[in-house]
Amino acid sequence: MSESRRRWWHRLTTRSPLLVTLDALILGFVVGALVIITTTASVLDAWRAMFSSWAAFGHACKLTADVVGAAYRAMFTGAVVDPRIFWHALTTGHGWTLALTPLSETLTYAAPLIIASIGVGIAFQTGIFNIGANGQAILGGVAGAYMGSLVHLPTVVHLPLTLAAGIVGGVVVGLVPGLLKAYTGAHEVIVTLMLNYVVAALLIFTLLSTVLQQPGQQNDISRTLTPSAQLAPLFGAASGLRVNWGLAVAALVVIFAWWFLERSSLGFDFRVTGANPQAARASGINARAVIVLVFVISGGLAGLAGIVQLAGTTHYLDGGFLIGNAGIGFTAITVSLLGRNRPVGIVWSSLLFAGLGVGGRAMQVATGIPLDLATVIQSAVVLFVATPVLVQEIFRLRHAAAGEVRLATSGWGS
Amino acid sequence: MSTVSRRRTRGIGVFGALLGLVTALGFGLASGSAARSSLTFNPVDLSASAPLHLGTLTLPTALANLVLGLAMAAIGVELVVRVPRRGVMARFGAVALLFLLALLLWAVRTTGPAPINFVNLTAVLVGASALTMVLIFGSLSGVLCERAGVVNIAIEGQFIGGAFIGSMVASITHDFFFAAVAGAAVGGLLGLVLAFLSLRYLSDQIIVGVVLVTMLSGLSSYLNLQVLTPFPQYNTGNLAPNLPIPLLTKIPVLGPVLFDQNGFFYLMIILVTAVSYGLFQTRWGLRVRAVGEHPQAAATVGIKVIGVRYTNVILGGAVAGLGGVAFMASQGQFQPGYTSGLGYIALAALIFGRWRPSGAVVASIVFGLSLYLSYNLQTFQVPVSTEILGMVPYLITIAVVSGLIGRVRPPAADGVPYRRD
Repeated sequence: MSESRRRWWHRLTTRSPLLVTLDALILGFVVGALVIITTTASVLDAWRAMFSSWAAFGHACKLTADVVGAAYRAMFTGAVVDPRIFWHALTTGHGWTLALTPLSETLTYAAPLIIASIGVGIAFQTGIFNIGANGQAILGGVAGAYMGSLVHLPTVVHLPLTLAAGIVGGVVVGLVPGLLKAYTGAHEVIVTLMLNYVVAALLIFTLLSTVLQQPGQQNDISRTLTPSAQLAPLFGAASGLRVNWGLAVAALVVIFAWWFLERSSLGFDFRVTGANPQAARASGINARAVIVLVFVISGGLAGLAGIVQLAGTTHYLDGGFLIGNAGIGFTAITVSLLGRNRPVGIVWSSLLFAGLGVGGRAMQVATGIPLDLATVIQSAVVLFVATPVLVQEIFRLRHAAAGEVRLATSGWGS
Repeated sequence: MSTVSRRRTRGIGVFGALLGLVTALGFGLASGSAARSSLTFNPVDLSASAPLHLGTLTLPTALANLVLGLAMAAIGVELVVRVPRRGVMARFGAVALLFLLALLLWAVRTTGPAPINFVNLTAVLVGASALTMVLIFGSLSGVLCERAGVVNIAIEGQFIGGAFIGSMVASITHDFFFAAVAGAAVGGLLGLVLAFLSLRYLSDQIIVGVVLVTMLSGLSSYLNLQVLTPFPQYNTGNLAPNLPIPLLTKIPVLGPVLFDQNGFFYLMIILVTAVSYGLFQTRWGLRVRAVGEHPQAAATVGIKVIGVRYTNVILGGAVAGLGGVAFMASQGQFQPGYTSGLGYIALAALIFGRWRPSGAVVASIVFGLSLYLSYNLQTFQVPVSTEILGMVPYLITIAVVSGLIGRVRPPAADGVPYRRD
């Protein structure tokens, strides 16, 4: 009995990837709480009175806990489930739509995020840093919007064509850094970053100055996708839930990524290149082809994420497409790092970060604390995940037997 | 000189020559013999420090641009034929500036589409100098960090942090000295975080940098809503006053651009000189470069590699933080996202300038001018959409890091973690 308990304790205090991730999450929320505490006027005022009486001290503690608690509670009920509404639905049989809406919203946001993050993760596993997922996703959305709103076909043909157009859009943007890196040695970080700004401008241009603009509109709004090009709600339009077949697309992508990385020979080449470029070259892997293909796959997945977002959720483009919450591309980087670049890990971290985004919005509505707190928490979590030794020291974990720090990138190495 | 670098010089030469021909034909001959372009040189405000008055210079557009284009082509041909060892960057800078001048002359030609038929050269240069100054701060920060072997991709984040805190402190104290100190402190603090995570815990420097930028953009947007919106008195956005240097401001064109600027501009010039001198003429600089090129060798002769890297990354962060304050001091009150990737362009300027302060200055001038023109060309009603023009600086950056500079050599140990054993 005590032996097994000791083993359990030993496991809980020895560094493992899962434990580091969980501890990083805790630290991320602590950082978020500190940010709330130091920027909320009422809390600061309460602490200012701390020296006047014991009651004031107690009041300050209580107020702090209340404010932080209310924020995180709103985040949870907005992203997962509100127990009271759920209990009401369970006992009366009514109001299921309301009870399931938070979960449905989280899944809706998670679907494109999973797809984009898997693209970024595959690039990371090959030792390539694709910061351009945002631009790739946006052009995927633009290309898909052309196909989805200006062409009229039956759903069976139209929807796959629209999704394919999205993929092509992402591939086009992805090929630029891929070809440039392979043939001129230009560092992909700078090129993809710059392309993000180029594509953002291109989006506005297409929305204002091409046939894509909604007729009769002066603003940056596109035509709406014809119903035959939309991803239908998963539970039917009558359910009132926005979660759509994009989730199925995401599931297919996860399966594809697992097969690609673990079973296909090209995926093996990718991983060898990422783990040891010299060995890859020595064993006859064509480094240039790998670089270009990584960007084709990574960009194509980002483009697919863009079109899934468009066809499943928004149904039209506007100037703010995929820009919110630091942009899907940057969120995808953090998601991928949190999920250790592996498909299954990415699914979990996408769900978490989608929940943070959706819950953050609910928090802003309920408590007035700005949604951007979610971005702060996300980046704090990733900083801790990227620094496992720091987490290990904070929580005084034992050294793991194996597990070295492996860098995804190093310098400008050309 | 290696063949790669010869090929690169030739590449720049060919590019310059082609650009010159395009300019001579497209902006020169094609604009017709009747077209005239006017240049004015008087600053917009006529205060006591205004420079001596200069008349309007009216040129036949075709002839002027033909001459400019041929001059560009000549520089390009000279690069291809002679393949000089020094001054390649300066020549490229000259080609780029001539191109921008030709573009301006073409845009304001009298029979052209624009209602404005003159270009105020002084106003353009003064406007661009603000952006150039910020870019130089950023790329100088990069020089300090990367010469010591740490990639600082968080320059954008340090800009955001510096601009935010600078705006708050300047609004509260009405004193840009305190704003500068606070901005440098925040930038240095971010540099410390980067240094701490990447030197002590060997984290991936590029990832830490990118995540720091994401965090700072989220945090600044959060604080903007949570603090600055309810308390607008903390973000009044006063601009730093200009400090004209007596007599020197009287020089036409150069006076307003170089000698009638705010304190940050002069500080920038001092910093460039100091870093340039320090890095290449002092013991300190030799040590820094040794640490960036071959840390193991540096450690064997008794240089404290980690210590040097800490110092430089913190210093670099402080310089970038100052850049953020300088941006705020010339653009006005803080808004989320208003640095719009300037930190990344500074990083490109650093690479383009081949990790040297002087090169970074030339690159920053070219980037700053083209950024400013792309923001402002629509006032001349160039028949291209605003959004397409807005892409130009970023496209130039891409062209620059790929085609033109190709495989330039960064400091050998740049971004490579150092283990003491």
